[in-house]
Amino acid sequence: MTENIQTAHQNIYKPAIMKIVARHDEAPGVRTMKLEFQNPAEHELFKQNYRTGMFGLYGVYGEGESTFCVASPETRNEYIEFTFRQSGRVTTALANSDIGDLVTFRGPYGNRFPIENFYGKNLIFVSGGIALPPTRSVIWSCLDQREKFGKVTIVYGARTVADLVYKHELEEWERRDDIDLVLTVDPGGESPDWKHRVGFVPTVLEQAAPAPDNCIAVICGPPIMIKFTLMSLKKLGFDESNVYTTLENRMKCGVGKCGRCNVGSIYVCKEGPVFTAAEVSKMPQADL
Amino acid sequence: MTRILLSDKLDNCVARWRKAGLTVIGPVKKETFSSYATVENAAEFDLGLVMPDRSIKGLFFPQTEPMVHYSIKKQAIETRDFTPPSEKRIIFGARPCDASGLAIDDPLFGWDYKDDFWFQRRNETVIVTIACTKADDFCMCTSLKLAPDSTKGSDILLRPLQNNRGWQVEELTDRGREAFKEIADLLQDGSEPAAAVAVVPEKFNLDACVAWLQNPENFDSTFWKEISMRCIGCASCTFLCPTCHCFDFQDEGDTFTGIRRKNWDSCSFALFTMHTSGHNPRATQSARWRQRIMHKFNYFPGKFNVNSCSGCGRCSRQCPVDMGITETLQAISTLQP
Ligand SMILES: Cc1cc2nc3c(=O)[nH]c(=O)nc-3n(C[C@H](O)[C@H](O)[C@H](O)COP(=O)(O)OP(=O)(O)OC[C@H]3O[C@@H](n4cnc5c(N)ncnc54)[C@H](O)[C@@H]3O)c2cc1C
Ligand code: SF4
Ligand code: FES
Repeated sequence: MTENIQTAHQNIYKPAIMKIVARHDEAPGVRTMKLEFQNPAEHELFKQNYRTGMFGLYGVYGEGESTFCVASPETRNEYIEFTFRQSGRVTTALANSDIGDLVTFRGPYGNRFPIENFYGKNLIFVSGGIALPPTRSVIWSCLDQREKFGKVTIVYGARTVADLVYKHELEEWERRDDIDLVLTVDPGGESPDWKHRVGFVPTVLEQAAPAPDNCIAVICGPPIMIKFTLMSLKKLGFDESNVYTTLENRMKCGVGKCGRCNVGSIYVCKEGPVFTAAEVSKMPQADL
Repeated sequence: MTRILLSDKLDNCVARWRKAGLTVIGPVKKETFSSYATVENAAEFDLGLVMPDRSIKGLFFPQTEPMVHYSIKKQAIETRDFTPPSEKRIIFGARPCDASGLAIDDPLFGWDYKDDFWFQRRNETVIVTIACTKADDFCMCTSLKLAPDSTKGSDILLRPLQNNRGWQVEELTDRGREAFKEIADLLQDGSEPAAAVAVVPEKFNLDACVAWLQNPENFDSTFWKEISMRCIGCASCTFLCPTCHCFDFQDEGDTFTGIRRKNWDSCSFALFTMHTSGHNPRATQSARWRQRIMHKFNYFPGKFNVNSCSGCGRCSRQCPVDMGITETLQAISTLQP
């Protein structure tokens, strides 16, 4: 699934300069930024290569680079959106950056969700917390060509109502009648006016009980959620090869050289970050 | 008849190469350690070393190296790319294991995305290797299916003469032939026999080890805990290794101006794989040592068809707690696949 890409630079570690053109606070400590390329040649290369599921290294000179998925869909490649949780050095520097400021981007790297293989099938997206960004990229890539897919179900949960990200898009999806949206928060995380489900994602998924036939599941979330969601999908009769997920190993180079992102023999930056559950279960579990 | 280079002509050769614009590098003993270093004349070489303490790696993949220079102005970032300075070099007296190490890492730095920092230096450097006539207890090239006179990664192979007066010259590549044209008139025909190469006994059965490593059940074997108990995670072995290639980026400077550097890093360090969340896939020293062995003899060959070890033995030779690849693979040899 790996695509062969060489960046425009001779120096493969030199990033492109990007301008922050919009930003949006999603949840406490979680922010989305919209970036535009400054160099048309670099933008052109991005447009040629970007497919949903790929990631990039976003950076602030003086602080370093961090890995985030490209949260915008492949069907909207005039810009790059990414969503991050402020947690360390680079993300703090990004959080302190304002509209008009310049940051850096290297990518797109990694493999993709093979959505053309999903044509004609029902889709169920399951995600938790801040892991909606990678899912959101696939969701929009599919919704922008809605007619090519069957039933679309989105199950999304967070610890509390405040922790749900992309609230404006959740509302939009809720209004559409060609999408089934199931929202949930963990017990105790509901607000007085919360009118959706209360319960953990895997439980709510089992209640929604999507039929496994002709259905592709895409799940992204914290490792613990993925673990239990996989068990639920198995119970519902899903085949592991129809379930897709992403891995988030620590990365530096993004291009298969720095040696840190591997799980067993698999380099997540090159052969991932998108894997089927069948592929993940073949990996040495202790290395995940 | 073969072409012969006599030792007493070597100083002339160094002068010729320098005159032709080549930087001449070779094994040099310094006060506290030996390494491949730039010389001005042949007297500086120490060709009697089994091998320099430091491997050849740093000449192609330096311990620290600038990637990008940045300076941030209001609403503008100016960057200056660093490419390695164009410098034609000749390394005289490389060891076959060191030269092989470079060839082993070529596919890694070249797959898909090409790291020109590595390849520019590779393309501009002539490697003149001298076959080994002596070895020490740690040498293990033969266990890796290489030999004291392997030609892998070399442009010229020199075989020491029995009478110790010089070397037989084997030209292996165009790059080597080109460099030796400069000294063509300093060579002579001769029929002196070459000295026997060093005897390096096989230390372990590589095929048996690889079979054990490839069995997924052994990933969780208690063997890993036992063998790595005394590892203090100092990373010396990875830094000394000619094939270990892990690195990190660090920005050096302030918010306005500075340099992004590529630095050697090591799978022996806990922080190497630690996520910001605190989760660490390789949280224990045994998981990290398993990674190193698996990477060299299972994952890397799976991708690039070659083991990521050339048998120099530096990891065991210089390990402060006397463990290394040899000890580990010897122990694995005794296990049931
Ligand atoms: C393919 C992929 C996609 C990701 N997508 C997102 C996303 O969309 N949104 C989001 O909030 N987070 C995402 N992450 C996790 C994110 O990369 C880390 O949380 C982030 O790097 C923390 O950076 P920091 O510099 O603030 O933290 P520090 O702890 O200061 O980080 C220091 C260094 O460690 C690296 N690092 C630390 N943890 C991780 C990690 N889990 N993964 C990769 N590198 C790490 C950073 O790149 C940085 O260079 C993703 C990770 C991967 C591998
Ligand atoms: S692992 Fe040890 S013996 Fe093998 S190349 Fe590296 S330092 Fe030499
Ligand atoms: S991130 Fe460097 S090898 Fe994968």
